[in-house]
Amino acid sequence: MADLKPEELINLGEKAVQVTMRRGAEEAEAFLNRSSRISVGIERGQIIRNVKMVDHGLGVRAVYKKAVGFSYTNMLTDNTLNETAVRALRSAKASKPDENWKGFPSLKKPSITKNTYDQRIVDLSFSDLVEMASLMLDAAEDYDERVFPFIGGVGTLLTSRTIVNSHGVEAYDEGTFVQCSLGTIAREAGKVTPECSEFNAERTYKINPEWVGKEAAKQAVSSLKAKEIASGTFPVIFAQPGLHGILYYTLINAVKADYVQRERSALKGKIGENIASDLVTIYDNGLLEGGLQTWRFDGEGVPSQKTTVIEKGVLKHYLYDNYTAKRDGAESTGNALRGGLTPYASTPTLEATNFTLTSGNKSPEDLISEIDEGLIVYDVQGAHSSNPESGEFSVVATPAWKIERGSVTYAVNGGMLAGVIFDVLKNVSALGDNLRKIGHLVAPWVCIEKVKVIGKQC
Amino acid sequence: MREALTRAVDYGEKLGADYVEVRVQRIFKTLLTTKDGRVEAAKEGIENGAAVRVLTKGAWGFVTLGTLDPRLLADAVKDAVKMASVASFKVKEPVRLAKTKAIEDKVTTKPKKDPREISLEEKIGVALTVDNTIFNYDDRVKSCTINYLDLTGTNYFMNNDGTCLEQDRLYVWSRVLASAREADVFTSGREEIGSTGGFEVFDIETPEIVGTRIAKRIVNQLKAKTPKGGTFPTVIGTNVVGVFVHEAFGHLAEADLTLSGSVLHNKIGRKIASEAVTVYDDGTISGAFGSFKYDDEGVPAQKTLLIKNGEVMGLMHNRETAYKFDTESTGNARAEDFRYQPIIRMRNTYLAPRDYSFEELLEDIDFGYYLKSFRGGQANLDGTFQVGIEEAYEIVKGELSSPVRNASISGNTLETLHKVDAAGMDFELWSGRCGKGQTAFVCDGGPSIRVREMLIGGGS
Repeated sequence: MADLKPEELINLGEKAVQVTMRRGAEEAEAFLNRSSRISVGIERGQIIRNVKMVDHGLGVRAVYKKAVGFSYTNMLTDNTLNETAVRALRSAKASKPDENWKGFPSLKKPSITKNTYDQRIVDLSFSDLVEMASLMLDAAEDYDERVFPFIGGVGTLLTSRTIVNSHGVEAYDEGTFVQCSLGTIAREAGKVTPECSEFNAERTYKINPEWVGKEAAKQAVSSLKAKEIASGTFPVIFAQPGLHGILYYTLINAVKADYVQRERSALKGKIGENIASDLVTIYDNGLLEGGLQTWRFDGEGVPSQKTTVIEKGVLKHYLYDNYTAKRDGAESTGNALRGGLTPYASTPTLEATNFTLTSGNKSPEDLISEIDEGLIVYDVQGAHSSNPESGEFSVVATPAWKIERGSVTYAVNGGMLAGVIFDVLKNVSALGDNLRKIGHLVAPWVCIEKVKVIGKQC
Repeated sequence: MREALTRAVDYGEKLGADYVEVRVQRIFKTLLTTKDGRVEAAKEGIENGAAVRVLTKGAWGFVTLGTLDPRLLADAVKDAVKMASVASFKVKEPVRLAKTKAIEDKVTTKPKKDPREISLEEKIGVALTVDNTIFNYDDRVKSCTINYLDLTGTNYFMNNDGTCLEQDRLYVWSRVLASAREADVFTSGREEIGSTGGFEVFDIETPEIVGTRIAKRIVNQLKAKTPKGGTFPTVIGTNVVGVFVHEAFGHLAEADLTLSGSVLHNKIGRKIASEAVTVYDDGTISGAFGSFKYDDEGVPAQKTLLIKNGEVMGLMHNRETAYKFDTESTGNARAEDFRYQPIIRMRNTYLAPRDYSFEELLEDIDFGYYLKSFRGGQANLDGTFQVGIEEAYEIVKGELSSPVRNASISGNTLETLHKVDAAGMDFELWSGRCGKGQTAFVCDGGPSIRVREMLIGGGS
């Protein structure tokens, strides 16, 4: 069962589509996913949480009189396949017609991707993972005795996806992931630093657990002896986790056609307009080599592609899935995501793939050396409370450090950053050369002028 | 089922595991999403699966699989024991478990309206009525997304300490997100409804009541101003008190996070808040979204006192942390489903009400803010928290004044708890979902409270 071959999965998908059509659906789609994960978990300095997870399942979308129904199951027998088809159609019949429904995508050849599967990851044994976790843990503990690695681990994932629809789409892809991460705090004289974490996540076997352990520890130690910050307006360097935080809930939503069509985006009607500093060029690159969101096709079987979102500050293109594209008379940009732990259990949602802010040519040291008084913000807290419609955010910078006369001086505690993402984009003044992948974002360090910082002292 | 569980548990013991636990679940879900009156997809799904957790030589091994096949269950037991054994060579301080009473029980739900007996059409009808109510309220309403979920099923649990449980699960949940726009001003609002009672939750929280409440909020916010940044006296409404108690305090009192170095480390018996603060985490409130009879380690849920008049009385425990603190599990071990290990989670967490009227809370404030509903919140182990505020008002000379949008509060939890100088007699519990690597259904709430000073951010 867990060993189903690609052909067998495609056959199951075809069968599910046929059954759904035979029962009276006007269109049908089957999505199958199979995954196997192993992780070695660290908790409070010990490798004690060890997990293996094997799962698979089928999700069927049925269309009846322009209404869409969906059903899923994690049991792949003839019986449950039939039941799932029947339920999907029943859901469609219970639903309401949607005048904007113009059908599932038609057949297009899946794209070619690189470095998304690595047999070495599949071959890693459980003992190998324990060894890697141990290296990471030791690197953190050996760095400084005030460091306490409290959470983290090493894990691998092998996953496949199959899609078949009644318009001839039939595709299969599989991929591997490996990641390691460590969260630490440092303690001294009754004071605790904020959580400081570091991670590596890759599609091929090139992670460095020792580096992760050491960096997480280094961050925690340099977060000791934090001071409070006075309110003001400063240049701020955002490292990738902080940038991911403020972009994910604001800009990334604002360029989704779904938000634009529903008047939930401040970027509605702004294609061709200057919305950012001319340093800003962003691609949504579903084909990024080794990208964390790189697949040959999206969750509806549309080939993945590279879409220019912002070019030298000018808004070029929104992100589309099949439904929003057909509604606008545009082409899907391959942004239908089937995500989460159980991708078969949900219908696709419109999401960025590898949202890539192109890098500049400044080293991190150069970026810091050019700031007379400012902040370097590694991560932010509370980004999910941003206002997705207006792009307004108000977050706590943590961990963060003060920059004075071109050098990082001391950690700062509890400072809030507030602003509107569209002002932030206009104030981008420099880009690092250190591109990095995190979640749906690929970006370098970014320096932003005139960020409003609210501290305890006014 | 009992026979299959017994076999798996016995096999784990035979392989040398010190502790073996097997959970099996059958789940049925109905899900709906509507966007601006359009049903995006009506969904139904079935999930069956098993989870095996063993403790061998002080390390955990956990295997989850999406099947009930007995042969694969035996393989899972073997894999779990093997993983734990391999990792155990590195263990310095072995995990041990606090003792619990062996229990055999069968728990059945008795909803007035079983969601399995409500047609999909009726569920769609409820969502679309909320949508309609919101759009009809004002033409500046621009979008409305509604999610609906009901989950029913049965959990089977057995461990080698002699506990054997069969427990029905029932959840009904809905979330409404709406937005309004006027020129360049965008506002948004969200609301969640959740119950372990049954579909009858919509007889009280009717689509009209819910829809009107959220529509009114987003439309009022269109004329709101942004807050001045700085420190102000603040009255926090029940909804924001809930998220504050949950995010800023509750997580710190989850014993696993306390052990990981949260600021509550070594604070038991110490005063960390003003006299006005008493906090409970209660898993026994009938029908509340965070309630259940037994947790996912087979321990009965209870009402746990966390803070009494400012003093820390206890933490939330599972069997593992209870052993470390030489106490008993409080029944806070929860797993989202068979794919996850049980970990320490909150249930219904709230600040206890006192005797101030709402007017009394406001009356001494010359200028400050009243924070009515939140957008999201987050906290750090060091006690810094941030809560985004959807709906707020200025307080001017003891009375509510202009609406304020897009505020956010932050600070240090312990400092803030010391500054709570009054708690109201009003009380509300709010349903929500909490993420800690997996989702748990919870409630949080309390009375309105007054905080002498609070850092207010937001605006531009």
